[in-house]
Amino acid sequence: MNEVVLSTHQLTKNYGKLCAVNQLNLEVKRGQIFGMLGPNGSGKTTTLGMLMGVTNPSSGSFSWFGEPATHHTRKKIGAVLEHPIFYPYLSGQKNLELNAMIKGADPKNIPKVLKTVDLTLRKDDKYRTYSLGMKQRLAIASALVSDPIILILDEPTNGLDPMGIAEIREIVKRIADDGKTIILASHLLDEVQKVCTQFAVLRKGKLMHSGPVDDVGKGEETVEVMAYHDDLGVLLQEFVGSGLIKKENGVFQVMMKDGFHSQDLNRFLFEKGIVTSHLTTKKKSLEKQFLEILAEAH
Amino acid sequence: MLHLLQIDLKKMTSYRTFWVICGLYFLTLGFTTASGMEILKWIASKFEDFGSSLNVNRIPLYHFPDIWQNLIWVSGLFKLVLAIMVVISITNEYQYRTLRQNVIDGMSRWEFVLSKVLTNVMLSLMSVGMLLLIIAVTGLIYTPELSAMDMLTGSEFLFAYFLEIFAFLSYALMLGVFVQRSGLTIVLLMLSHMIEAIIKLNLFRESLEPSIGWLKQFFPLESITNLVSLPFPRYAFQEIQDTVSLTAVLIALGWAFLFNYFSYLKLKRADI
Repeated sequence: MNEVVLSTHQLTKNYGKLCAVNQLNLEVKRGQIFGMLGPNGSGKTTTLGMLMGVTNPSSGSFSWFGEPATHHTRKKIGAVLEHPIFYPYLSGQKNLELNAMIKGADPKNIPKVLKTVDLTLRKDDKYRTYSLGMKQRLAIASALVSDPIILILDEPTNGLDPMGIAEIREIVKRIADDGKTIILASHLLDEVQKVCTQFAVLRKGKLMHSGPVDDVGKGEETVEVMAYHDDLGVLLQEFVGSGLIKKENGVFQVMMKDGFHSQDLNRFLFEKGIVTSHLTTKKKSLEKQFLEILAEAH
Repeated sequence: MLHLLQIDLKKMTSYRTFWVICGLYFLTLGFTTASGMEILKWIASKFEDFGSSLNVNRIPLYHFPDIWQNLIWVSGLFKLVLAIMVVISITNEYQYRTLRQNVIDGMSRWEFVLSKVLTNVMLSLMSVGMLLLIIAVTGLIYTPELSAMDMLTGSEFLFAYFLEIFAFLSYALMLGVFVQRSGLTIVLLMLSHMIEAIIKLNLFRESLEPSIGWLKQFFPLESITNLVSLPFPRYAFQEIQDTVSLTAVLIALGWAFLFNYFSYLKLKRADI
């Protein structure tokens, strides 16, 4: 499971004086859902463009599946960069047939992927008549048509309404459940936190941070507690693991000291004869972490 | 190879503009070349209005072997229509950014150029086929005494015609790859002959004409025109080049190769 599918080595792209991607070293392993975070213009798309052969790197190298990339490797990758690109005068179906031809994929996959993105009913309409959400969904369908090992999605929910965003997120999760490796570039932190397992933060073309999403906010746990007991606040103070305690809307927010977790607090309260009606562990949000990472870089 | 051609045709065959332009091309090409006798008769009737007479049957326009060069020269005038179709096909790929997606989907840049070149080959071959049909039918109808020798003499123009179309389409493709915008490319394509003529005019002033005038045949568009030279002065008893010159073929072949190579080179180096 730990097979490396993508690694970049000192990958760099200069546009004149501007350094869009600066000596980037990344590693993505099989089965990961890898989030690439960064503000607009931080080099996400340029990086993906280099990985997909449309942008020539200035220096550095990268390899897919442990080998130098050729156009044959790209056929095993489904990718949508920036925004959906199709022939406007062709129908969705014909566009997918064309994609399948280029990728050397079996056209029999087309009905299946159209169903995945819920476009079966509109497949014979011309692409130019599609709404933005449908275009994005067709793009995902085209990326899936060759049953790729890796899926690259660049801002797949850009410009969509909340419904559309939820739909795309559902699709991404479903694909991830199929065991595919997904690289997801986004500036929407919430999106990355909800679907990704790993994440990397880019800023001005430089890699600022890389690690598992689960590690976000490690060592700093906040537990929300609610119980029908008048002295709950006092009792919480007595618990050895409690740090700072705040009360918001009748809910106690307990910052845990290092090495203490929600289950310790629960056990303590239970021993005191209190049964909680609400107990949740809150980790620091990715947004907070992201802003911290970007702030450190200044 | 066939696969690449299929990919490019797939893009085209559901594109209405493609059918309209190609339809118009083959229709006008067919009707014009097939109705030369009617045009001659019309000219003759005009002559009669002025009191002189012209015996159309004495002009062997459609007689083997003249028919080869006559019809092929006229057909060459229509290649601009086909070239505009090629320009639209390539500039669309830039405008819609589908070239980028094609590469992302796993086409190499070389394969992309090759798919376009193969379509050009096919369009050229279709033009040749169409003309062969028209020449065979009209030649058999109009030639008074058929002999196998006469029929085959001049058929090498068919190859020159193929090269003429293919080289010009290659030129159009290259222009599209470099300029990337359809309107501007079409204007440049239409002005190309004139621009080249102006350059030649300024380069080869009269004093230089005898010494380096021979260089003219190496100019790209001139080399394409030189493949099939204007046949009609022979009916006014002037001498014409009535065979295909090997030098002209070699120069045009060289340019056809270079046009496509430049397209590839440009595409290979570009961020798309």
